Amino acid sequence: MLILTRRLDEEIVIDSNVRIKILGLSENQLKIGIVAPQNVKIYRGELFDKIIKEMEEAIKKSSEPVESVSKLKVNKIKTIK
Amino acid sequence: MKIQTSHFGELEYGEDRIIRFAKGILGFEELKEYLLLKSDDELFYWLTSIDKPDIVFPLIAIRLIDSEYIEKPDSEAFGIVKLDPDPSNITVNLKAPVYINQESKEGVQTILDEEKYPISYNLFTKEAD
Repeated sequence: MLILTRRLDEEIVIDSNVRIKILGLSENQLKIGIVAPQNVKIYRGELFDKIIKEMEEAIKKSSEPVESVSKLKVNKIKTIK
Repeated sequence: MKIQTSHFGELEYGEDRIIRFAKGILGFEELKEYLLLKSDDELFYWLTSIDKPDIVFPLIAIRLIDSEYIEKPDSEAFGIVKLDPDPSNITVNLKAPVYINQESKEGVQTILDEEKYPISYNLFTKEAD
Protein backbone atom coordinates (compact mmCIF):
# COMPACT_ATOMS: atom_id res chain seq x y z
CA MET A 1 0.00 0.00 0.00
CA LEU A 2 1.17 3.46 -0.92
CA ILE A 3 0.77 5.86 1.97
CA LEU A 4 0.67 9.63 1.40
CA THR A 5 0.14 12.45 3.87
CA ARG A 6 -2.15 15.22 2.61
CA ARG A 7 -3.46 18.43 4.18
CA LEU A 8 -6.87 20.02 3.83
CA ASP A 9 -7.55 21.12 0.22
CA GLU A 10 -4.64 19.10 -1.12
CA GLU A 11 -5.16 16.56 -3.86
CA ILE A 12 -4.00 13.22 -5.19
CA VAL A 13 -4.00 12.51 -8.92
CA ILE A 14 -4.33 8.96 -10.21
CA ASP A 15 -3.61 8.07 -13.84
CA SER A 16 -3.90 11.74 -14.87
CA ASN A 17 -7.72 11.60 -14.98
CA VAL A 18 -8.77 10.86 -11.42
CA ARG A 19 -8.40 13.59 -8.78
CA ILE A 20 -9.07 13.03 -5.11
CA LYS A 21 -9.30 16.07 -2.87
CA ILE A 22 -9.42 16.36 0.92
CA LEU A 23 -12.41 18.64 1.52
CA GLY A 24 -12.90 18.42 5.24
CA LEU A 25 -11.49 16.96 8.42
CA SER A 26 -13.14 16.30 11.71
CA GLU A 27 -12.41 14.06 14.67
CA ASN A 28 -13.05 10.71 12.99
CA GLN A 29 -14.38 11.65 9.58
CA LEU A 30 -12.74 12.72 6.41
CA LYS A 31 -14.66 14.36 3.58
CA ILE A 32 -13.28 13.49 0.17
CA GLY A 33 -14.14 14.87 -3.26
CA ILE A 34 -13.47 12.69 -6.30
CA VAL A 35 -13.39 13.83 -9.91
CA ALA A 36 -13.19 10.93 -12.36
CA PRO A 37 -14.39 10.00 -15.85
CA GLN A 38 -17.85 8.41 -16.18
CA ASN A 39 -16.43 4.94 -16.81
CA VAL A 40 -14.55 4.93 -13.51
CA LYS A 41 -16.92 3.32 -11.01
CA ILE A 42 -16.69 4.54 -7.44
CA TYR A 43 -18.13 2.56 -4.54
CA ARG A 44 -17.98 2.66 -0.78
CA GLY A 45 -15.55 -0.12 0.14
CA GLU A 46 -17.77 -1.91 2.63
CA LEU A 47 -20.71 -2.00 0.19
CA PHE A 48 -18.52 -3.29 -2.62
CA ASP A 49 -17.07 -6.05 -0.42
CA LYS A 50 -20.54 -7.07 0.74
CA ILE A 51 -21.79 -7.38 -2.84
CA ILE A 52 -18.79 -9.49 -3.88
CA LYS A 53 -19.30 -11.76 -0.86
CA GLU A 54 -23.00 -12.14 -1.65
CA MET A 55 -22.20 -13.12 -5.24
CA GLU A 56 -19.61 -15.67 -4.20
CA GLU A 57 -22.19 -17.22 -1.86
CA ALA A 58 -24.77 -17.21 -4.68
CA ILE A 59 -22.38 -19.24 -6.84
CA LYS A 60 -21.61 -21.65 -3.99
CA LYS A 61 -25.32 -22.24 -3.42
CA SER A 62 -26.27 -22.39 -7.08
CA SER A 63 -26.59 -26.18 -7.01
CA GLU A 64 -29.13 -26.26 -4.16
CA PRO A 65 -32.32 -28.04 -5.27
CA VAL A 66 -35.13 -25.66 -6.26
CA GLU A 67 -38.00 -28.06 -7.03
CA SER A 68 -39.87 -27.00 -3.91
CA VAL A 69 -40.16 -23.33 -4.80
CA SER A 70 -42.60 -23.58 -7.69
CA LYS A 71 -45.62 -23.37 -5.39
CA LEU A 72 -44.35 -20.44 -3.37
CA LYS A 73 -45.50 -16.88 -3.74
CA VAL A 74 -43.00 -14.22 -4.79
CA ASN A 75 -42.59 -11.43 -2.26
CA LYS A 76 -43.47 -8.40 -4.39
CA ILE A 77 -42.44 -4.84 -3.66
CA LYS A 78 -45.59 -2.82 -3.27
CA THR A 79 -45.35 0.76 -4.38
CA ILE A 80 -46.88 3.20 -1.96
CA LYS A 81 -48.64 6.00 -3.75
CA MET B 1 -19.88 -26.00 -29.35
CA LYS B 2 -20.51 -28.03 -26.22
CA ILE B 3 -20.57 -27.20 -22.53
CA GLN B 4 -21.03 -29.32 -19.41
CA THR B 5 -23.60 -27.53 -17.23
CA SER B 6 -24.60 -28.13 -13.62
CA HIS B 7 -28.35 -28.13 -14.23
CA PHE B 8 -28.81 -29.34 -17.77
CA GLY B 9 -25.90 -31.73 -18.28
CA GLU B 10 -24.05 -31.48 -21.58
CA LEU B 11 -25.47 -28.80 -23.85
CA GLU B 12 -24.76 -27.93 -27.41
CA TYR B 13 -24.97 -24.22 -28.19
CA GLY B 14 -24.46 -21.91 -31.13
CA GLU B 15 -22.49 -18.68 -31.31
CA ASP B 16 -25.82 -16.80 -31.34
CA ARG B 17 -26.65 -17.95 -27.80
CA ILE B 18 -23.61 -16.33 -26.20
CA ILE B 19 -24.28 -13.32 -23.93
CA ARG B 20 -21.24 -11.04 -23.75
CA PHE B 21 -20.38 -9.06 -20.63
CA ALA B 22 -17.76 -6.61 -21.92
CA LYS B 23 -16.80 -5.62 -18.37
CA GLY B 24 -17.49 -9.00 -16.85
CA ILE B 25 -19.35 -9.45 -13.58
CA LEU B 26 -18.08 -7.96 -10.30
CA GLY B 27 -15.40 -10.18 -8.88
CA PHE B 28 -15.33 -12.24 -12.09
CA GLU B 29 -14.10 -9.64 -14.54
CA GLU B 30 -12.05 -12.11 -16.56
CA LEU B 31 -15.18 -14.12 -17.50
CA LYS B 32 -16.90 -12.36 -20.40
CA GLU B 33 -19.05 -14.99 -22.10
CA TYR B 34 -22.11 -16.63 -20.62
CA LEU B 35 -25.13 -18.69 -21.56
CA LEU B 36 -28.51 -17.73 -20.12
CA LEU B 37 -30.22 -21.06 -19.47
CA LYS B 38 -33.77 -21.73 -18.33
CA SER B 39 -36.23 -24.56 -18.45
CA ASP B 40 -39.82 -23.52 -19.22
CA ASP B 41 -41.32 -24.62 -15.92
CA GLU B 42 -38.69 -22.96 -13.76
CA LEU B 43 -38.67 -19.59 -12.08
CA PHE B 44 -34.90 -19.26 -12.26
CA TYR B 45 -32.43 -18.64 -15.05
CA TRP B 46 -28.91 -19.99 -14.85
CA LEU B 47 -26.28 -17.58 -16.09
CA THR B 48 -23.46 -20.01 -16.81
CA SER B 49 -19.90 -19.03 -17.62
CA ILE B 50 -18.69 -20.61 -20.85
CA ASP B 51 -15.03 -20.55 -19.78
CA LYS B 52 -15.75 -21.86 -16.27
CA PRO B 53 -19.07 -23.72 -16.33
CA ASP B 54 -18.94 -24.27 -12.56
CA ILE B 55 -19.46 -20.51 -12.19
CA VAL B 56 -23.25 -20.26 -12.31
CA PHE B 57 -25.34 -17.29 -11.21
CA PRO B 58 -28.97 -18.20 -10.50
CA LEU B 59 -31.09 -15.27 -11.72
CA ILE B 60 -34.69 -14.14 -11.46
CA ALA B 61 -36.45 -11.55 -13.60
CA ILE B 62 -36.86 -8.58 -11.26
CA ARG B 63 -40.14 -7.53 -12.93
CA LEU B 64 -41.71 -10.44 -11.00
CA ILE B 65 -40.76 -8.66 -7.77
CA ASP B 66 -40.87 -4.95 -8.58
CA SER B 67 -42.86 -3.52 -11.49
CA GLU B 68 -41.14 -0.15 -11.06
CA TYR B 69 -37.55 -1.30 -10.93
CA ILE B 70 -34.91 0.78 -12.72
CA GLU B 71 -34.89 -0.09 -16.42
CA LYS B 72 -32.27 -0.03 -19.13
CA PRO B 73 -33.36 0.35 -22.76
CA ASP B 74 -34.04 -2.98 -24.54
CA SER B 75 -32.72 -4.92 -21.57
CA GLU B 76 -34.27 -7.00 -18.87
CA ALA B 77 -33.18 -6.63 -15.25
CA PHE B 78 -32.26 -9.81 -13.39
CA GLY B 79 -31.37 -10.26 -9.74
CA ILE B 80 -28.74 -12.74 -8.59
CA VAL B 81 -30.40 -15.30 -6.35
CA LYS B 82 -28.84 -16.90 -3.29
CA LEU B 83 -30.50 -20.31 -3.04
CA ASP B 84 -31.07 -22.24 0.17
CA PRO B 85 -32.61 -25.59 1.15
CA ASP B 86 -35.08 -23.55 3.22
CA PRO B 87 -37.01 -21.38 0.74
CA SER B 88 -37.60 -18.70 3.39
CA ASN B 89 -33.84 -18.08 3.32
CA ILE B 90 -33.67 -17.60 -0.46
CA THR B 91 -32.71 -14.01 -1.23
CA VAL B 92 -32.30 -11.82 -4.32
CA ASN B 93 -29.69 -9.13 -4.75
CA LEU B 94 -31.61 -6.02 -5.83
CA LYS B 95 -28.60 -3.77 -5.27
CA ALA B 96 -26.36 -5.16 -8.02
CA PRO B 97 -28.66 -6.22 -10.88
CA VAL B 98 -27.59 -7.82 -14.12
CA TYR B 99 -29.13 -6.27 -17.25
CA ILE B 100 -29.32 -8.48 -20.30
CA ASN B 101 -30.26 -7.43 -23.82
CA GLN B 102 -31.41 -10.64 -25.47
CA GLU B 103 -31.43 -9.06 -28.93
CA SER B 104 -27.87 -7.72 -28.97
CA LYS B 105 -26.73 -10.47 -26.57
CA GLU B 106 -25.03 -7.97 -24.30
CA GLY B 107 -24.98 -7.99 -20.54
CA VAL B 108 -23.89 -5.51 -17.91
CA GLN B 109 -23.93 -5.47 -14.12
CA THR B 110 -24.65 -2.26 -12.24
CA ILE B 111 -24.54 -1.24 -8.60
CA LEU B 112 -27.49 1.03 -7.84
CA ASP B 113 -27.11 4.06 -5.61
CA GLU B 114 -30.67 3.93 -4.31
CA GLU B 115 -30.79 3.07 -0.62
CA LYS B 116 -34.11 1.25 -0.99
CA TYR B 117 -32.71 -1.73 -2.87
CA PRO B 118 -31.29 -4.35 -0.49
CA ILE B 119 -28.48 -6.81 -1.22
CA SER B 120 -30.48 -9.61 0.41
CA TYR B 121 -34.18 -9.34 -0.40
CA ASN B 122 -36.35 -12.28 0.72
CA LEU B 123 -37.72 -13.79 -2.48
CA PHE B 124 -40.73 -15.60 -1.05
CA THR B 125 -43.51 -14.51 1.23
CA LYS B 126 -43.75 -16.34 4.53
CA GLU B 127 -47.35 -17.50 4.20
CA ALA B 128 -48.22 -20.40 1.92
CA ASP B 129 -50.32 -19.51 -1.09
